[in-house]
Amino acid sequence: MKLFVVGESRILPPTWLLSLGLLSLGLLSAPVNIALGQVGEVSIQFARDIQPILSEHCFACHGPDPESREAGLRLDDPEGWGTELESGEGVAFHAGAPDSSVAVSRIESEDSDVMPPADFGKPLDDAQKQLLRRWVKQGAKWQQHWAYAPLQGEVPAVDALPAGDDEWIERWSVTPIDRFLMRQMRLADLDLRPNPKADPVTLIRRLYFDLTGLPPSPEAVDRFVSDPTPAAYVQLVDQLLASPAHAEHMTRYWLDWVRFADTVGYHGDQDHAAWPYRDYVLKSFADNLPFDQFTTEQLAGDLLPEPTEDQLIASAYNRLLQTTHEGGAQDLEYREKYLADRVRNFSEVWLASTMGCAQCHDHKYDPLTQDDFYSLGAFFADIDERGSYDGAAPNAVPTLRHPQKEVLSPLDRDRLPDDFSQQIETRLAERLPAELERERRGKQKKLEEKAESSEAGDSKVAEVKLTSKEVQRIESQLRARIQKERYAELEIRTGQCMYTRAVEPREVRLLPRGDWLDRSGPVVQPRTPGSMPPMELPVGTEGKRANRLDLARWLFQDDNPLPPRVMANRLWAIAFHKGISSNLGDFGFQGQWPSHPQLLDYLAMRLQQSWDLRSVLREIVLSEAYQQESTVVAGRDPGNRFYTRQLRPRLAAEAIRDNALAVSGLLVPEIGGPSVKPYQPAGYYRSLNFPMRKYHASKGQDLYRRGLYMHWQRQFLHPMLKAFDAPTREECTAERAISNTPSASLVLLNAPEFVEAARALALRSVRETRSPPSEKNAEVKRSWEAARAIERMFRLTLSRQPDETEEKRLLQLYQAQLEMAQSDDEAARLLEVATPIAAERLEEEHLTVNQLFALTQVARVLLNLDETITRY
Amino acid sequence: MQAGSLSLGSAALSQMLPSMSLASLTGQQETGGVLSQLHFPAKAKRVIFLCMAGGPSHLETFDYKPELERLNGQPMPESFTKGQPIAQLQGKKLICQGALKKFRPHGESGQMICDYLPNIASIADDICIVRSLQTDQINHDPAHTVMNTGTSISGRPSMGSWVTYGLGSESENLPGFVVLTSVGGRNPQPIASRQWHSGFLPSKYQGVEFYSNGDPVHYVRNPQGISETAQQDVMQAIGDLNRHRFESIANPEIEARVAQYELAFRMQSSIPELMDFSDESADTLESYGAKGMDGSFAANCLLARRMVERGVRFVQLYHRGWDHHGDLDKYMNICCGHCDQPSAALIKDLKQRGLLEDTLVIWGGEFGRTPMFQGKGASAGRDHHIRGFSMFMAGGGIKPGITYGATDELGYNAVDNVVHVNDLHATMLALMGIDHKQLTYRFQGRDFRLTDVAGRIVKEIIA
Repeated sequence: MKLFVVGESRILPPTWLLSLGLLSLGLLSAPVNIALGQVGEVSIQFARDIQPILSEHCFACHGPDPESREAGLRLDDPEGWGTELESGEGVAFHAGAPDSSVAVSRIESEDSDVMPPADFGKPLDDAQKQLLRRWVKQGAKWQQHWAYAPLQGEVPAVDALPAGDDEWIERWSVTPIDRFLMRQMRLADLDLRPNPKADPVTLIRRLYFDLTGLPPSPEAVDRFVSDPTPAAYVQLVDQLLASPAHAEHMTRYWLDWVRFADTVGYHGDQDHAAWPYRDYVLKSFADNLPFDQFTTEQLAGDLLPEPTEDQLIASAYNRLLQTTHEGGAQDLEYREKYLADRVRNFSEVWLASTMGCAQCHDHKYDPLTQDDFYSLGAFFADIDERGSYDGAAPNAVPTLRHPQKEVLSPLDRDRLPDDFSQQIETRLAERLPAELERERRGKQKKLEEKAESSEAGDSKVAEVKLTSKEVQRIESQLRARIQKERYAELEIRTGQCMYTRAVEPREVRLLPRGDWLDRSGPVVQPRTPGSMPPMELPVGTEGKRANRLDLARWLFQDDNPLPPRVMANRLWAIAFHKGISSNLGDFGFQGQWPSHPQLLDYLAMRLQQSWDLRSVLREIVLSEAYQQESTVVAGRDPGNRFYTRQLRPRLAAEAIRDNALAVSGLLVPEIGGPSVKPYQPAGYYRSLNFPMRKYHASKGQDLYRRGLYMHWQRQFLHPMLKAFDAPTREECTAERAISNTPSASLVLLNAPEFVEAARALALRSVRETRSPPSEKNAEVKRSWEAARAIERMFRLTLSRQPDETEEKRLLQLYQAQLEMAQSDDEAARLLEVATPIAAERLEEEHLTVNQLFALTQVARVLLNLDETITRY
Repeated sequence: MQAGSLSLGSAALSQMLPSMSLASLTGQQETGGVLSQLHFPAKAKRVIFLCMAGGPSHLETFDYKPELERLNGQPMPESFTKGQPIAQLQGKKLICQGALKKFRPHGESGQMICDYLPNIASIADDICIVRSLQTDQINHDPAHTVMNTGTSISGRPSMGSWVTYGLGSESENLPGFVVLTSVGGRNPQPIASRQWHSGFLPSKYQGVEFYSNGDPVHYVRNPQGISETAQQDVMQAIGDLNRHRFESIANPEIEARVAQYELAFRMQSSIPELMDFSDESADTLESYGAKGMDGSFAANCLLARRMVERGVRFVQLYHRGWDHHGDLDKYMNICCGHCDQPSAALIKDLKQRGLLEDTLVIWGGEFGRTPMFQGKGASAGRDHHIRGFSMFMAGGGIKPGITYGATDELGYNAVDNVVHVNDLHATMLALMGIDHKQLTYRFQGRDFRLTDVAGRIVKEIIA
């Protein structure tokens, strides 16, 4: 296989030869002739081409973990390559001389001494062997792993882009994002071109689902379709990004990452007090709080100077992990479990690093040691909590997880009047005298009764007075009561919330093999992983014990490339449903080489400027690449590595629910507050205990809130959420899987919330398509037609008009169902599903039960369509 | 019962699937596993795991310890307990507690079984008792997680998911991995649904919880007021419109979705038949002690047999009453009253129907109980214990009538032929023809397996 490639460009290195995957598949086995530069042999990049091979096939025995290292050979460290082997045979890789490189000859060996050994089960293929040989021949040059390397993302200049006269080239020359993508596309194949821009209906639906998780109303669609100009598009984007629904949508992602749930997770899975934290996240996204500040408040809000209540609520991040209240839990064992849990979550959320592997041994693939693991854990050793819960509200729902306190929802705090405490004091002053007198009389009466029942039988007691202590108690109780009343009047939501309180840090030891009973390991101090940029402590604080605040600052040091890359990649995935590095949770050696490293770095640097997540997401959705059609063109760009089309992912669980509620008009758009409980199958919590539990569905409006607010029971996640792949939030879920199962079909078909939504959609459609009221006679019944109602339902659900086939099929279904209902007495029971609707209501609507039945059946079909639950 | 209809007739089914061959519906993706070839000849095709949640006492079931009886009431020698993890007995005085009932030899094999289990004793020659189990976790929740996933770290797939991932399901209409729970005995153990979660494996390998009272599966019943034919029409229209859409945009996901609706439809139609015991003889019902679909362990055992007959690959039955910190005698009587007869009946029934030879039955808890007395309640109990406990296995290539492994003289540490939970898993997979080191899944850059980095195939108990 001979490979040709362009020479180095001054602006961008030749990253067009995307991956070893392509090479080894032989997809580029023929000479590639392209318009630019010189043709020559491929320059192999270690980080892109070689390291993945070594990591996958060699590091398990010749990697960072000394415990499992064979023959003293270390291939993850370039120093190991040229070091004389223990066997005295020579060196592993002799730069420029593959024939005198022992590793090359062992890899190419056809005998039993072949590497990797046959029983390892991961043999190298010929292309990989050749690549290793060529890399050694080219000098066996080392390169830093892409994720750890400094950011470098210079935007390709327009005049440096390959020329062409297609219409799309002009469009794709405007934004930096498109220029990066186009360049890579053009360099690979001049005939490669992206899809055309999607039609306005598809575009507006895409934007709504990607930015808000909700569908557009038919009116919003009409507005955009009548004026689908770039300016209108920008306006739409800005309007959506500023909407509360966008904050809700972003919060949903964030809660998956930080594993937010309403219950403790282990054993009895009791409820804990966490919802105000969700409101903090909502408020932060609504205010577009800079990401560094958002992060710092969560990791170390309690350590900020004079923290506000919202900053303390933010610090609940440190308490979101799974905890146990099981009797007989051992304090030390659980403290160690919690430490490990925090390290796993912190490192995956902000570093996309799978530190969890280093709990028991040095990482097999990544330069992360066991010492790194426990040293990172030591940052969290000052968090006040108990490892076991003997005595603290055992087996109660909700349980107590001290420290926790009564707080205001961060979303409502702004509505607190400036003179709130003055108002309280005024009311207190009004009501206190009467309250004191009432209490005094009560005390007097008690004493009189006591005196009466005593042997002396003397009921005369001198007038008693309250002690100053009693006065104080009564006053503070009354004040609390008045405050509560006032909050209720102002509709300010309050509740308990866990938070972080720092105590004297506990001793943290490295645990050999992760065994908490083994206390022989060294004591470690807070320290960030050695392979990442060193922590810069503020001047004058060198030598002090680093804390969570320092850890947060370290994330945002200019020389730390991981957090900006991680977040840029995840923002990209919110819009493109695939990361530039396709593994959103692992930027380690076993992760995925980014398809467009410079683009990723460019976005990361944009983020680093001011940590403004919204503006970067805005830039992403304003690109042409984002706006193109999702149609697959057979044979072109199979893995969509060049972004020649958009993807068409199924909606997330919450969006599937929200969509059904929104199109039916049932959705209650209240933002924030305590979690709510929609309908759930009876007995679903039968396997929970300590205490036994019954699920009581919410009443009224709370049944129709967005999925974001659903009670998140870690052990028994609502079956609807579960069927559509929402995670249990025991661990960080950087990216949800998307499955396609019969259970999911059964939910959409039969779950009461979806049947109720279908019924409401049917009613709504009738109401919205009635003939206008008669001016002459208000008594004349406003008529409706099935065909128009069905068309309306279709538009509400899919934002477009049905085509002829669709229209005919649905009308036919309507007719058939109407007939069926007329001969089926049971059909009327459809009115009883979920929250029953009264038959009188139908009379007002001039509908018969059978008509509603038939329309509901049509609506059920619409809510179940693939197009309804897919973002195109 | 609500008026909603559970079943759809077979006529309806054939109407639903006019152009679908079964093969196209149940292609490799749907029911086949990832292993194109087994690593070893399979001796077991399916597994029924009887999970005695809470941790039954090995010292009152299968591990006969005369020395412990001799030391009854005396201090537990410190040499056994020093530095060991302890659950509720933390900081308490540790006293030896001998077995509460007699052990006797049973069958030709003469296996020692406690009098609490007369029915299981009657099949002594069909079972292999393993007395040397060990696990890593001393509290229920993490210990269950170890028993199901091989580790206490959250997010790993359970054994049923691994097996169906590897081998697929043999049923076209039922999930490959089914879980049922029953209660009774001491305060029932909570069992988290993570115990049958597919972790990072695709969620189609997730265990599906069935209920032998109430609705057998969530949302399997048509909504109120919707008759079979009305539902069928809706599904037909969904299929038609999805296919119509597919013609214009050719998204293969649509085809997959259509297939899932059809599978859902088949589930809706086959589950009522599965759950209907009316074709079982009175003798059969009596042998299990089953009184119909009442959610009891007996009903679940019978249902397990019906499921494996219909091709379900992995069935897990939880009985949740085995956590006997006090009043051990009372609760052993209750739990054995629930579980002894149906467990034995299941094995006899499978044997009689020729199913036992390729069905592996495993019986045991997430851990055992201390040789030390615990006094929570009116009379003696025992605390959680992980250093040595017992299980039994039968059928599916297991040597019958043998006892394997041993604990020390007081039943504390497994000392002879220790079988860690990872070894149990390795052995179970081996019986199914799978090399536990080769059934892996790439997640977060690493190849994971059920046995993590451990696992020994216990060849000595394989026939």
